[in-house]
Amino acid sequence: MPSERMSDEKRSVQFSRRKFLAGSGATVAASLAGCFGSAGSSGSDSVKIGFVLPFSGTYSFLGESIVNGVKLRLDEQLDGEIDGRTVEYVRKDTGADPATGASITQEFLQSENVDFIVGPVSSAVAGAMKPEIASSGSAIWLNANAGNFKLVQDNCTKYHFRTSFNTWQTSAPLASYINDNIADNVVLSYANYTFGQQSKNLFREEFEKVGGSVVDEIGAPLGTSDYSSFLQEIENSGADAVFSFFAGSDAVNYIKQFSSFGLNEKMTQTGSGFLLSADTLQAQGTAALGMYSLLHYTPTKQTDRNQAFVDAYSSQYDTTPNVYACQGYDSALAAELAVTEAGGTETDPMVSSLAGAELDSPRGYFKFKSSTHDPVMDMDIRQVVEADGGVQNEVVETLTQVEGPTWGCNL
Amino acid sequence: MAIEGIAKTALLGVEMGMTLVLVTVGLTLIFGMMDVINFAHGSLYMLGAYFGLTVVTVTGNWWAALLVAPLLVGLLGGLIEYLSIRPLYGRNPLYHILLTFGFAIMLHGLVTEIWGGQVQNIATPSLLEGSVDLVLFSYPLFRLFLLGVSIAVTAALWVAMRRSDFGIVMRASAHDSEMVDALGTDVKRVFTAVFVLGSILAGLAGVLLGTSRAVDPGMAASIIIQAFAIVVIGGLGSYRGAVVGAFVVGMLNAFGPTFAPQFTDALLYLLMAAVLLVKPAGLFGTPEGA
Amino acid sequence: MSVKDIVGRHFSARQQTDVLSGRVRVGLFVAGVVAVLFAPFAQAVHPFWMDLATHMFIFALFALSLDFVFGYAGLLSFGHAAMFGAGGYATALLIQNATTSALVVLPMAVLVGAAVAALIGWLSVSARGIYFAMLTLAFAQLFYTVVFNDIPAMLLGLEAVTNGDNGLVGITALTLFGVDTGSLMAYYYLSLAMLGGMLALVTRLANSPFGRVMQAIRENEDRVAFIGYDVDRYKIVAFTISGGMAGLAGGLWVPFNSTATTAMLHWTTSGELIVMTLLGGMGTLWGPIAGAFLVVFLEDSLSAIGNWEIYLGIVYIVIVIFAPRGLAGIFRTVRSNPDPRVLLSKARSALATYREKVFS
Repeated sequence: MPSERMSDEKRSVQFSRRKFLAGSGATVAASLAGCFGSAGSSGSDSVKIGFVLPFSGTYSFLGESIVNGVKLRLDEQLDGEIDGRTVEYVRKDTGADPATGASITQEFLQSENVDFIVGPVSSAVAGAMKPEIASSGSAIWLNANAGNFKLVQDNCTKYHFRTSFNTWQTSAPLASYINDNIADNVVLSYANYTFGQQSKNLFREEFEKVGGSVVDEIGAPLGTSDYSSFLQEIENSGADAVFSFFAGSDAVNYIKQFSSFGLNEKMTQTGSGFLLSADTLQAQGTAALGMYSLLHYTPTKQTDRNQAFVDAYSSQYDTTPNVYACQGYDSALAAELAVTEAGGTETDPMVSSLAGAELDSPRGYFKFKSSTHDPVMDMDIRQVVEADGGVQNEVVETLTQVEGPTWGCNL
Repeated sequence: MAIEGIAKTALLGVEMGMTLVLVTVGLTLIFGMMDVINFAHGSLYMLGAYFGLTVVTVTGNWWAALLVAPLLVGLLGGLIEYLSIRPLYGRNPLYHILLTFGFAIMLHGLVTEIWGGQVQNIATPSLLEGSVDLVLFSYPLFRLFLLGVSIAVTAALWVAMRRSDFGIVMRASAHDSEMVDALGTDVKRVFTAVFVLGSILAGLAGVLLGTSRAVDPGMAASIIIQAFAIVVIGGLGSYRGAVVGAFVVGMLNAFGPTFAPQFTDALLYLLMAAVLLVKPAGLFGTPEGA
Repeated sequence: MSVKDIVGRHFSARQQTDVLSGRVRVGLFVAGVVAVLFAPFAQAVHPFWMDLATHMFIFALFALSLDFVFGYAGLLSFGHAAMFGAGGYATALLIQNATTSALVVLPMAVLVGAAVAALIGWLSVSARGIYFAMLTLAFAQLFYTVVFNDIPAMLLGLEAVTNGDNGLVGITALTLFGVDTGSLMAYYYLSLAMLGGMLALVTRLANSPFGRVMQAIRENEDRVAFIGYDVDRYKIVAFTISGGMAGLAGGLWVPFNSTATTAMLHWTTSGELIVMTLLGGMGTLWGPIAGAFLVVFLEDSLSAIGNWEIYLGIVYIVIVIFAPRGLAGIFRTVRSNPDPRVLLSKARSALATYREKVFS
């Protein structure tokens, strides 16, 4: 990793630490004032964004990418102001712990009086945050990565705007492509936790609907480091293709070992985009060649909008953007639009201006669906190909304006 | 299950088990001799992988990494022992938990700070790419190499502990360090040497497994509990126990997904509980070892 | 005079002071008064301090539960997360399906924690030392996988019981005598009262003949067994009591966060608890409370910095090397000789000892 980027990161960390302290001081003053007058949202001339993200451990890379995406828009392109209002940030580390996420959310809502909450990475953390945000109603939640569709299904809340994706969108739409172009029979392999099970089930439902058959399904515990025995089961299934959900280090272990046991010569590997995304692809290397996946953002996508984003991001951070950075960037676009359209940071007017709104996202078409506040967006089917110095995803087909179910949510 | 399947799964089990020995041997020797419960052992393994990653990036040579990274980890392990564990000898060994837990946390943060949180991987050397045809099935060459190295190291250590003077002092110190000290051997230096040896082996495992698996800051935590379980199953402080325990757990990992796919993550703990309920000091442990 | 009486007297005689000496009790009383007065002050200045303090109280209670078996009976439990989680999940399920009354929910959390501890204790006591620790770890991790994979739902044929890795969320506040404890201040006082009550209870237990036997077991369990005590039974009882307290801590933790999640049950929770106990000074009861306060405070205040674990780890390392008896030891040293010059010379001699031990 270039040392230049490291020192940049260190600076930004210290910087936000100071901001955080300054923020706390301001809040003390605000709550003192609150004893005498009514303590509304933060001051009329500022917009406060709270990052509820992992900044330590395995997911810290995702957290930092989201922050980078947000700051690229707000700090670099808008000079730290939205519609004449100064942007302020607070951030705290969720790790991967839902209880910590809930507690930070409470603090940001009650004590920091944030206008927007950006985060989290993990769906379990999102589940814990949701009741806090729904009952408070004092901030807009820009959900920049947690894809669990049940966030919308059970007691959906109007304050929740997903600037990322839902589980259905990253799994089911791939079914008909596989059935038409790759194989009419698959074996499913997945990390055995909610997200993996959801992706697997949603894919299976759609794949059977379009006429394909599922031969077998194999779940491996989250965090498995050696998949060889599971791979043998996959091989024994005799299917022509595999659809998988694994992410992070699981995805690297799975793909590397899949190919080292020669399964890539016997069956076609496909999966949700997180199986082969920018944060794991370099580690997977040539083991990933030829594999298919479905995701809403591909850095190599050949559009002017994306090229402009990639150029801006690369020159700022000295690395190509990934899907998480794009989700962060789109969160910033949403915040910008909400404050500008509503003419302030009052929560309910911001909700009205975001519902049904379109964003000029690098990923392509993007609209907050009015009924669920989930995105309606373009999804890319990609294949891993060789590139200079490694491998990369190449878009083979773009599915336009993918919506998905509403799960009974009607906002 | 066809005969090829059983044979291949068995080989997988042997391979997974024997590679784990590299991690567990250090853990059990360190405990046996110094009563140190080393939570940082997984972090040393992780550092082996990250040092290996950097050496490969800088030199482009995997074999250099295989040589250099474990030595660097050994050096670091030596420093940790010298500067922080040594002052604690004579105190309740429970404080080692706090100390090594502190190191595990610190190194987790430090690795994320230096190398970033994203998943990485050491590229397989071209010499060890591809598969070998073993009549009934084919098997990745690199994994055979892993198996070979693990067996060689395990055997060499076994011989060294039986035959060499240092090995005899080591075993004697594990049995009764005060007596060895009284007889004129500087036990402290033996301790440092054992800690360095354990660190080198963990670092070696880091480079080897960092090539076949993902390298990320979570790898320390994911191996340490498994390694503890193996050491406890075998009997703390017992070299033979660490080898047999790793072998058994390797087999469990290999056959588990076939026979109990829903409960693979519970199997290790079931085994550990079962062994300790029948033999409260593990398979080859002595109650005094506790 | 029976053998047991002689032993009892022998132990009492050896124990020069009671558990928690008079001066420490005065100190704790003052701390309690300060804690009671703190809430209105925080309400006026920065209400979120109460949130942090409540977090501290709950983990202090949890650490106290470990210190009771670890510090007094010498049973190093590496599985206290199981009881913490059991109490927590029981609370969540009760609040969701039955009642929010604290008078029902919290006693149930205690009972469930105690029941789980009794089972784990009964299965584990035959192992000693580190093997006991690893057995409790094994059972706790088994419990974790059961909750993570929602085995209860599988067995009962329901859609969700523990709700797997997503946990149970949106748990509403407890009610006490018809009063909602949802406000920060109400929950602050509830947790403080529980911590104070349990500290009093544990102190009494530790000073009772039962507590003396436990300490004797810690010192030399073979001798205690030889005299005729059923050592295993004492251990199981102590472990069960401790589990009940851990269950209570879990029962307070869940409504506080409005979530019950698998992280409560993970081995790292047990590990963190051991760290709190050792950092504070095991076997002192108030030390682990201070340890919990420090760890919670550090985690909260450091977590705004990137990779804050580096600094947390360094704090642990420095304390364990230079303060052998943890925070309790530092406090004792300071109290016995508040003169800064003496303290400075003590710090110097600690450094000198360190140098000597390392470089000799």
